[in-house]
Amino acid sequence: MSVLYVALPIAIAMGAVALVACIRCIRGGQFEDLESPPVRMLIDDD
Amino acid sequence: MPFCCNGCRGAYALIQQWGLEDYYALRDQLVGTGEQVGTGSGSQLSDALDTEGWLSLDDPEAFGDHAPEACGEGWVRVRLAVAGLHCGACAWLIERAARQHAGWQSARVRLSDHTAELIYDPEVIPLSQIAAQMSRLGYRVSPLVSGDAEQRRASENRALLIAIATAGFCAANAMWIAVALYAGEHSGIDANHGSVLRWSGVILACISVGIPGNTFLRGALASLRTRTPHMDLPVALGITTGCLAGVVSVVRGGEDNYFDSVTMLVFLLLVGRWVQFRQQHRAAEAVSLLMRLTPRQATRVNANGTTSTVWADRLDVGEIVRVGPRQAIPADGRVVVGESRIDRSLVTGESLPIAITVGDAVLAGCHNVTSSLDVEVTAVGTESRVGRLTQLIEDAAGEKAPLVQRADRIGGVFVFTVVGLAVLTAYAWWPHSPGEAINHSVALLIVACPCALALATPLALAVAVGRAASRGILIRGADVMERLAKPGVIWFDKTGTLTLGRLDLVRLHGCSTVPEATILAEAVALESGVNHPVASAIQRKCGGQQRIELVVVERQIFPGMGVTGMVSGHALGVGNSKLLAELGATPADREMAIADQIISHGLSPLWIVRDGQVVAVGGVGDELRSGALETVQRLSDRGWEVGMLSGDHPETALRIGKALGLEPDRVLGGVSPEEKLEVIRQSSTGQRGSRPVVMVGDGVNDAAALAAADVGIAIRGGASASLQAAPVYLPGDRLLKLDELMAASARTVRTVGLNFGLSVGYNAFAAGLAMLGWISPLIAAVLMPISSLTVLSVVLTRRTFRDSKPDGSREIQMKTPKLSQVAA
Repeated sequence: MSVLYVALPIAIAMGAVALVACIRCIRGGQFEDLESPPVRMLIDDD
Repeated sequence: MPFCCNGCRGAYALIQQWGLEDYYALRDQLVGTGEQVGTGSGSQLSDALDTEGWLSLDDPEAFGDHAPEACGEGWVRVRLAVAGLHCGACAWLIERAARQHAGWQSARVRLSDHTAELIYDPEVIPLSQIAAQMSRLGYRVSPLVSGDAEQRRASENRALLIAIATAGFCAANAMWIAVALYAGEHSGIDANHGSVLRWSGVILACISVGIPGNTFLRGALASLRTRTPHMDLPVALGITTGCLAGVVSVVRGGEDNYFDSVTMLVFLLLVGRWVQFRQQHRAAEAVSLLMRLTPRQATRVNANGTTSTVWADRLDVGEIVRVGPRQAIPADGRVVVGESRIDRSLVTGESLPIAITVGDAVLAGCHNVTSSLDVEVTAVGTESRVGRLTQLIEDAAGEKAPLVQRADRIGGVFVFTVVGLAVLTAYAWWPHSPGEAINHSVALLIVACPCALALATPLALAVAVGRAASRGILIRGADVMERLAKPGVIWFDKTGTLTLGRLDLVRLHGCSTVPEATILAEAVALESGVNHPVASAIQRKCGGQQRIELVVVERQIFPGMGVTGMVSGHALGVGNSKLLAELGATPADREMAIADQIISHGLSPLWIVRDGQVVAVGGVGDELRSGALETVQRLSDRGWEVGMLSGDHPETALRIGKALGLEPDRVLGGVSPEEKLEVIRQSSTGQRGSRPVVMVGDGVNDAAALAAADVGIAIRGGASASLQAAPVYLPGDRLLKLDELMAASARTVRTVGLNFGLSVGYNAFAAGLAMLGWISPLIAAVLMPISSLTVLSVVLTRRTFRDSKPDGSREIQMKTPKLSQVAA
């Protein structure tokens, strides 16, 4: 069961990477405007 | 194709010209086909582009902090405020428009704060031309107002989101670690594994409390320093003891651990805080939209006749400013030179430009349409009408709802009770065993953490406001729900609120063998070209029907009576009872009966006389909105005292009041905006406390009363200024929503009460267990999330709104037999 000593840090590290990515997105302003992007996706057809 | 205004007609022409017809398909797909708009008689759009009004945009000085900046290869980037954005289709149109012009590389529209980022080449196309193009499409651009507050809000929003992300990361990981530990407790777990898991959990809890949970600790410190009770205090106490107890227990190799509860608690509370923040943010956005109505710069006329460009907020009262055509008026003032028409739609909601001349007052934010004006400034910036309204809204947005304040007060009491009980527990257990005494009091401090209490009230209010918004009722200010929960006094404005606000020919009863359609067609022909509200009412009644061009001769207008003339060989007269007497025609008894009925419904009779005989009688009046009668009746059934305030003639007001079944002494006609304010003030001082005073109105003349009332409810479609003054907006065509809102408010307040009881009950129960020494980590871990979850599910499952179906039988219906049939 010593796999726990490896798996636990890996799991938390993976979560931490996602957290850092999320924070980068927030800092980059991706969550500022939640109204236009969904609409733009629909209309950017060319 | 019908257009609501010249702007739409112009936009339509441009869209066709550019081959962008997809816009209409897209618009319909995104927002539904929209309501019908009337036929406009707009003028032809000239192809020449008029950039004159926008030249100030070419001067980088006009932008202040938001000046255009170079972004390589000659391109320049600038962010502008855009007025007139409605939906995704607007964004599409603007972004497509950019591609139609050389030198205009791109436009990115941000719907959430009504701005657009443009990239263009000033050598090829100056900004003034872009602005002029966008104004042809119906969007007015202006430099961004220096955005300190907005910048602050944006960074606060980011900080909160980052805190939530971190807390969520900690909570999710702490949870699976906790699951492993509980499973281990059940089936046996290696001691080393258990300790690794416990250590990881505690580290996560420390991160959670130390970084995102920091805001609660700081709040608690501030609350201690200022000695004001606050919900942060017991929350901070709970999470710090939980975290410290966890660290101590892990270091000593003990089994007690609360890290899962602590991390989850921080996460949930932060989410609740963000929901509240979003709500206030929306109100603030409405304010900054309003601020953009007034231009930043003004052209001042100096004493020696020269002009100079100055900042609008540095103008002094008494100075003269020149406002060119297509420019916005920078300050409240009085016209001293010139004649023009001004478009006041942004401030008052009037759809047509009105003519003004020397001596007339103008408001900041109105648009000058036809020719140049010199205006003597009477009020600037925050002193102007728009400025005062803005101030009002900002004040309202900053206030805390009384319900939340009560929760804060309870939080203060709570913390002392909990600390007292903890001391008591320690004291009672000390003789038994000092170790257990400390354990039990720590357990008490943790389980008594009022997470449910801290979440319950703001969440219930936020959810109710969100549900209202999805039904078209926009609520700003969380205290609205609480105030509307108990019946009080409600005052309605008449014109535009209970009625449609324009004259209409409500019904036409033919009285002879001549077909109604013929009579109507002849009446329309007679009235065509007559500039009178009744004439346009008759023409609207005819509506889209194909009309035959009839020859009218000898048209004669009797002022205050009506019109006569020869239409296709018949002597026709259309007018009121005075005209009838003038023409010497006498209606039959049946026709008199219909006329009486028309009068009793608050309308004025309109007679049509043909060759000396009465051939038709109709009712002209300001028609009641659908659902007005029912709304009034339902509100009275709920115990509200319903009244009506009208600037209209007292007699008209009384007639409408009677039609609605209002008490005559509650119908006040001929009241000025100041008198409306006075009435509202008197109603509220007379019944301070439990009985709220509500004002429902639509015009700028109601704005003061709307702001002074306990709850102001503005009808959408009315003046934007009145919308800004009121904490509630209601869609104009659905008055019945008012009744739904009252019912929903009562239910929300009940939900808050229920949540209070539940969370206090949970905490008392858990505290009791802890004092008796029965709280194990397992029980604590189960109890704490359950209390939060109960509160959450109560809020989410209880229905706030119930549909109120319109009840047709209560609508006004003129159940008169068609006399044309009787006579025939």
